[in-house]
Amino acid sequence: MDKETNIRELLRRYMEGESTQAELRQLREYFNCEQDLPADLAPYAQMFAIIEEATPMPSVEALDRFASPLKAEQRRLPLWPFIAAACIAAIAVILLAPPQQKEESMAIAYVDGKMLNDKAQAMRMGQEALQEIFSNGNQEEQLSELFNTP
Amino acid sequence: MLISIVLSVSAQEGLRINDVFEGEVIAKQFIQESLVKGDNLAPYNLKVLHTAKCIANAKERVTIEHLFEEDMKERISDDDSNMEMESRDGHLYYAIVQLKNSARGTHRYICYQCRDRSSHYDITLVYMEGKASLADLRKTFKKK
Repeated sequence: MDKETNIRELLRRYMEGESTQAELRQLREYFNCEQDLPADLAPYAQMFAIIEEATPMPSVEALDRFASPLKAEQRRLPLWPFIAAACIAAIAVILLAPPQQKEESMAIAYVDGKMLNDKAQAMRMGQEALQEIFSNGNQEEQLSELFNTP
Repeated sequence: MLISIVLSVSAQEGLRINDVFEGEVIAKQFIQESLVKGDNLAPYNLKVLHTAKCIANAKERVTIEHLFEEDMKERISDDDSNMEMESRDGHLYYAIVQLKNSARGTHRYICYQCRDRSSHYDITLVYMEGKASLADLRKTFKKK
């Protein structure tokens, strides 16, 4: 492949956006230095001249540095501020959340000085107390109280 | 432990009759007490039911009666739908009173009954709260 054919292939790759940095450098050098250009390649020389003036190309080293992956240490963001913020938010939610309204269930009886965790007994005592009060004693008891005749 | 029973009924705090529930008028071993809360009372549409039955002498009876009457001052009204009361010979015989300062949609009641047994008095005290109205409670607990 002669030089001109090679340049034409490089141009095709350049126009397709497939050029490597080395190929681009090769094109720039060719159009910058070549004095005896074929007529159809002359516009490309002007194009590269304009590009050269408008945007000075970074050095190959700079391009390589840019292309190379950053070290893990450089890319890693410090996580502790985010963890601290998440912890503070979680604590705030717990502390500021309204208390649960659900009533805890319990049934305790206290008989003869002893506490009994006996639901049936506690319920029975509660019901009996309410029945006595809402019935206000039965008629017989009321009469015996009124006339003091137990 | 005993105090914790009473304090666990938070809405009951501040009532004078708590002295009775806490054993400050009559020693706890002479009181039969029950405390039921939560789902156990769902059939009655109540959330808290706290009862105390005790045997009192004349002095203790007057003290308990006085404490209850103090709490009665916080009644919602004198209307029959909110309270019922009966006195004999200048003493309270029985009372059912709906209290003010209830949480929204919740009613609080205190009840008192005293029976003269010649040598002593049988006294029953009740604190309860829930959505049940006084009419509901009468219907549920009044003996036929």
